[in-house]
Amino acid sequence: MNRAMLRLSLACLVMFALLLINVTYVQAFKATSLASGPGNVRIFDEQFQYKRGSIVVGATAGGTTGGTTIAESRLGKGGTTYHRYYPFGPVYAPVTGYDSIYGPSVGGTAGIEEAENKELAGTDPRLAVHNLIDLVTGKPRLGATVYLTISPKAQQAAYNALKAQGRPAAAVAIDPKTGAILAMASFPTFNPNRYATLSGRRLNKIDLAYRKDSQQPLLNRATQATFPPGSSFKVVTGSAAFGTGKVASPQSTVPAPTNLQLPGTTHVLINDDNEACGDGHPQLIYAFTISCNTAFGDLGMKLGGSVLRAYANKFGFNNPNLTVPLPVTASVFPRVSNPDFTAFSAIGQFDDEVTPLQEAMLSATIANDGTLMTPYLVQQVQAPDLSVVQSARPSVLSRAVSSQVASEMKTMMISVTQNPAGTAYATANQGIAGVEIAGKTGTAQNGVNNTNLDDAVFTCFAPASNPAIAVGVIVKGGGFGAAAAAPIAVQIIRAYLGIS
Amino acid sequence: MTAVATHSGAGAAADPAAAAPMPRGRRSTELLMLVFAVGVVLAAYASAGLGLNGKLPAGLVEYGAAFAVLVFVAHIAVRRLAPWADPLMLPLAALLNGLGIVMIYRLQEAGRGGNPGNVITTMNTSTTLYQVVYSAAGIAAFIAVLVVIKEPRILQRYTYTLGALGLVLLAIPAVLPDSLSVVNGAKVWIRIGGFSIQPGEFAKLALAIFFAGYLVAKRDVLALAGRRVLGIDLPRARDLGPVLIAWGASLLILIFETDIGTSALFFGLFVAMIYIATQRTSWLLIGVGLFAAGTYAASKLSSHVGARFTAWLHPLTHANVFCTAAQVHCVSSYQLAQGLYGMGFGGILGTGLGHGQPYVTPLAQSDFIITAFGEELGLTGLMAILLIFGLLVQRGLRAAIGVRDPFSKLLAGGLAFVLALQVFVIVGGVTGLIPLTGVTTPFMSQGGSSLLASWAMIGLLMRISDTARRPAPQSIQDEGMTQIVRAR
Repeated sequence: MNRAMLRLSLACLVMFALLLINVTYVQAFKATSLASGPGNVRIFDEQFQYKRGSIVVGATAGGTTGGTTIAESRLGKGGTTYHRYYPFGPVYAPVTGYDSIYGPSVGGTAGIEEAENKELAGTDPRLAVHNLIDLVTGKPRLGATVYLTISPKAQQAAYNALKAQGRPAAAVAIDPKTGAILAMASFPTFNPNRYATLSGRRLNKIDLAYRKDSQQPLLNRATQATFPPGSSFKVVTGSAAFGTGKVASPQSTVPAPTNLQLPGTTHVLINDDNEACGDGHPQLIYAFTISCNTAFGDLGMKLGGSVLRAYANKFGFNNPNLTVPLPVTASVFPRVSNPDFTAFSAIGQFDDEVTPLQEAMLSATIANDGTLMTPYLVQQVQAPDLSVVQSARPSVLSRAVSSQVASEMKTMMISVTQNPAGTAYATANQGIAGVEIAGKTGTAQNGVNNTNLDDAVFTCFAPASNPAIAVGVIVKGGGFGAAAAAPIAVQIIRAYLGIS
Repeated sequence: MTAVATHSGAGAAADPAAAAPMPRGRRSTELLMLVFAVGVVLAAYASAGLGLNGKLPAGLVEYGAAFAVLVFVAHIAVRRLAPWADPLMLPLAALLNGLGIVMIYRLQEAGRGGNPGNVITTMNTSTTLYQVVYSAAGIAAFIAVLVVIKEPRILQRYTYTLGALGLVLLAIPAVLPDSLSVVNGAKVWIRIGGFSIQPGEFAKLALAIFFAGYLVAKRDVLALAGRRVLGIDLPRARDLGPVLIAWGASLLILIFETDIGTSALFFGLFVAMIYIATQRTSWLLIGVGLFAAGTYAASKLSSHVGARFTAWLHPLTHANVFCTAAQVHCVSSYQLAQGLYGMGFGGILGTGLGHGQPYVTPLAQSDFIITAFGEELGLTGLMAILLIFGLLVQRGLRAAIGVRDPFSKLLAGGLAFVLALQVFVIVGGVTGLIPLTGVTTPFMSQGGSSLLASWAMIGLLMRISDTARRPAPQSIQDEGMTQIVRAR
């Protein structure tokens, strides 16, 4: 039996050898890759031993001087661990997001803190050489500074305006020429400072309270919530009408009955409050100015669902891959073939869904002569040794319409605020000396049988002559777009352009 | 056996003048090694306290003294009851047991008394005390084995009794309702009142004795009868019966207790012992083949087993680490991943006792105690611990080779092998080498059943080793003087 025993001993030896080889592999060779595994709390805790990079807004254009710090790491009591601090708290919360001890892989971070985590934590490969030098010279690791495109004035104005009106809402402002995001505010929101605790138990409590809150304070409505666009979608329908040549110019007349019977159904499309649209054959610009549903519903049926969808896509709809670098929920223009649904879709009802960012992109496209620039938040990333690691380069997301079409749409959008009959004349014409705002209102019915309060939508850009800012605002349950959403956009524009 | 006899005979023939070397008990070596083991354990305990909050841990003197007294009592018992036993087994086991207590203390203290980390909810402030008490009980069991079993062969008388007992112990948790048999999701317990015991730990010993007794009786027929096909000696169909029964029993454990680890342990034990008994490779092949087929079928049939395989193959994907309610048959690899992260965090030299974050890994005090050591003592410390286990196995196998009686030989071989297999299954499981299954880490995991059974097993091995190393009784009369008298 001893021969078998010796063989068995050999088997035991092999088992122990395998164990030793495996633990050597895990601890000596795989340690580095394990460090970034999903849900690795240990390494992230360790991260609080380092000074994480700051997030700065409002630095000089293209540069990294000046600016306002909106997130930084401060040495805590006892001087051994760093705590994240957000000087403006909720104002920038949708932008900064938060950073917690749980780390990026388990939803322990959000916003820029999550999207730019590698840069802020200093683990990005582009910072490797710098880190290596620090390691050799024994200096503590430092994260890179992330400079954002946000304008502090526009952001503060957006937050104040949203907070003042009190309903769930969001506003986004873009520089139409570059795509740089100038403001991104959401309400109700949260205080990212509360996530900076080093106590896991307290963090869980805070996080749970926010998550269970029916007001959804953690939701970044600017990029992650979608709403029906309502009449603001007529910007796309109008662009499609001009682009395809179905309508020659803003002055061309279009059929606009008081009641539009939808073929094959018993549905009747009506205008707001069942009003007539001029004489029933108004110019398109007039139908746009007073936002006739029947004119655009009819246009939509003539254009067809697939043409509308193609144009919507050019304006940025149905794009699930957009990141700014925050992930952006895709705005939806559905595949429709039935004429009745097409008519509803053409006026931004049925299954159409947009984010406030998409609303801003609609105006930005028209403002930039029909070219949609890719929206972005990160202007520059600066390594601790002050070298620039990454710099934003504006890029074209899509050439949506020709400059001819854009200029025709611009004329119509100016009319919305400048024509006394325009839906936004009362709210977006007044009080801005010498600056014309071009815009489009939307008042979106929603809920089962449209029982919910209407969502108020406004998309606009200014100055109309030389656009510097495009804004999208959506107020959930705000009622008329002109009444609830437009004043918010006006305040953002004023703050950004420095008009008192 | 014959080889040993021949060898000593030849030695005696070569140098008949020299007195036969007096075999040594080496009890002083044992004592020295025990002092060393206690020293290491006390140093580790002090180091854990210093690492946690910069102070020497409370109870350093009390726990230290208790532990020292325990092992020295064991040593005295060995001097009295098994003076020829292997001198390394007791110090090795004591070292493992002591290090286990240190880690349990360190984990118990996490998040308590201002120490870093969060409190492990499955431990309370008296967990360490209980572990020390269990260790005392374990050493009592060790001494009891030495007292009761004077000669390992007497166990052979109870072959079938112990076999039946083993099967009953194994089957109890499967039969009991979940409320009385499930702890932390493993249906391998008996819960009575506030106590819970893992009968499988004891069944392991009972079945090892049964297998040894059975195989000694049947080994000739198992080894010799049969046909040769393709160079492999195939046993007769009727002799396959017991193998199939063992296979069936381990499969039943697998299915009703969803415990691949225990079933692998029992089946591995049986196959190894049948191989030692018969020296026929065909048994090995049949055994391994049957187990592989059974496990494969189980992984296909049982979604739970299949999901465990997935968690093992891809422990570090987000979907596996964080199973959501939407993934119906997902076995979360969270624990495995945290264990691996801990080991990676520890790296080669470890964080030092009290400086790591082993409390992050769920059940770090039982199944995952090895990864806690890997984190705080590093690859270096983990290798040392694995080598201690390896040495213990080697001492057991050495006793098996040394002993002459086939029953004792089989038993010692089986016990040593099952110890190795258990270490392989749990350490391999928590380090991602093989699918994770819940067996305890011998001597280290928190809990009494495992400690008691492990110490009893060391008792058996030392008794067998004592038998093996005991010098043969001196003949009263010199054989050379024997006269051959022809009687007519």
